[in-house]
Amino acid sequence: MNLIVIFISAAIVNNFVLSQFLGICPFVGVSKRLDSAVSMGMAVTFVMTITAVVTWLIYHLLLVPYNLEILQYVSFILVIASLVQLVEMFIRKVSKPLYDSLGIFLPLITTNCAILGLALISVLRNYSFMESLIYSIGAGAGFTLALVIMAGIREELELADVPKQFQGAAITMIIAGSLALAFMGFAGLI
Amino acid sequence: MAKKVSLLEDFTKGIWKENPILIALLGLCPTLAVTTSVENGIAMGLAVSFTLVCSSTIISLLRNIIPKQVRIASFIVIIATFVTIADRFLAAFYPEISKNLGPFIPLIIVNCIILGRQEAFASKNNVGRSILDACGMGLGFTLILIVLSTIRELLGSGTIMGFKIMWDSFSPWMVMILPPGAFLTLGLMIGASNWINDRRKRS
Amino acid sequence: MNTSAKMILVLTVISALSGGLLSYWDSFTSEKIEAYRQSEIQKAVQKVLPESDERKEIQQNGFTFYIGYKNGEITGISFVAEGGGFQDIISMMVGVTPDFSHITGLAILSQKETPGLGTKIDYDPSREGMETWFTDQFKGKKTGNLTYVKNQKPRSDSEIEAITGATISSNAVVTILNEKISAAKAAFESINE
Repeated sequence: MNLIVIFISAAIVNNFVLSQFLGICPFVGVSKRLDSAVSMGMAVTFVMTITAVVTWLIYHLLLVPYNLEILQYVSFILVIASLVQLVEMFIRKVSKPLYDSLGIFLPLITTNCAILGLALISVLRNYSFMESLIYSIGAGAGFTLALVIMAGIREELELADVPKQFQGAAITMIIAGSLALAFMGFAGLI
Repeated sequence: MAKKVSLLEDFTKGIWKENPILIALLGLCPTLAVTTSVENGIAMGLAVSFTLVCSSTIISLLRNIIPKQVRIASFIVIIATFVTIADRFLAAFYPEISKNLGPFIPLIIVNCIILGRQEAFASKNNVGRSILDACGMGLGFTLILIVLSTIRELLGSGTIMGFKIMWDSFSPWMVMILPPGAFLTLGLMIGASNWINDRRKRS
Repeated sequence: MNTSAKMILVLTVISALSGGLLSYWDSFTSEKIEAYRQSEIQKAVQKVLPESDERKEIQQNGFTFYIGYKNGEITGISFVAEGGGFQDIISMMVGVTPDFSHITGLAILSQKETPGLGTKIDYDPSREGMETWFTDQFKGKKTGNLTYVKNQKPRSDSEIEAITGATISSNAVVTILNEKISAAKAAFESINE
């Protein structure tokens, strides 16, 4: 029951992008087309899940027992950077089509604050292994959802007559505001 | 003379012409998340500026020593070190602010402004210019955070820095301190800055 | 020197320097951070067990109990209750009578509820002079089956008034209390066994 609440909370009610403000850069940058939004969302979810597992193990089996919590940030970001590299190499070896669709997004993920944010929040909330795993999948789903909705709207928006000064980032922000408002309606769900 | 102008330019470009938030659209996550009050906005701006100036100094000093292949990894370690220092400093001396900003202090590590400036400027230029560049970018970032948080706090709670500003019967626009208000205000600010730049170009 | 050796050397040196600097900084700040945390806890205990003048700490089953005494007699027991709020964990210090039947006080230790709405569980700037009315109203309430009512004054001693516009946060506090007080009671009773 608790796990379901964590999942729904991360994916919808406290959506990573629209209510926690994590992963805004790719949200603005990669939401112009629907197909690239889907690929980016999948890549992020994938890396998030692995990151959640690895950082949980590092924090609870290495940093806490040896009293090295001060190295938390340095070690987490190094883990994420190397994980992204490994995942890239692995996907290239295993599946060429998957690499072609996800490949170009992978390097961008290192500096996606949603990934580091996820690892940090899991520690802050003292999640168990299972909880952080579910949390990461929920967060990834929420990120993908926000990105896909945004891309869908922006594809339509190309036909709309937006004032010149507001084209691009400005209108994206304003739409994101309306979406965030809509997502607040889910508040009563949990 | 030409050199002097360019040094000044290194500093001032971050404030408006290449402003990290309005023009380059970098570092948006903390910009949106912590600007619910002016106090938080200033603290965040200072923490980012501190990290930016320190990392730029060190990285521009080491720019000829760090091999190209491990450039990003080295940058990240250096940045994460300074962020940890800033985080612990706030937790020890300003615990209330540290509580409010929560995970957004450690998230400075992946703030694209910092890594972006290392990659684009500090790893290619000497220490003096890198520091000027970092100060300018830090100031530009902090100023936008202050403007954004002032608007949001004033309309959303009727206060600035916790002092009551609005008249008594003013009922706060709650939405301004909620997530949608952050997106809307920043969108309008970006639009306004585009409009000002357009007007300048035309005249 | 070949490139990969240089790469490894540079990364190692940078990481070592960073580790050294951080461990120095840790020794410098961690005491202050811990002292602040302790003082926050002591302040909260003082608030929820106002009648006690002497305290003892006991750990049992994951709870840390702060037992308040006056003239050698137990006046109340307090402990930290945590649980999920609207956005993040709400952490509270709860004080109860020695038999766990009534609440003697409640203080919020940390919360990340929606600014201006859910944060009123901790501090409500719109009610001048009684900004902590939400937590204050728990004093004297009966434990076990707390419920909340909306937009009206509570009628019984197991009802509290919810915050308008932040029912979820109010509900979270009530749920956490109902759950944790009985868990704490079980843990506390197992101490003497």
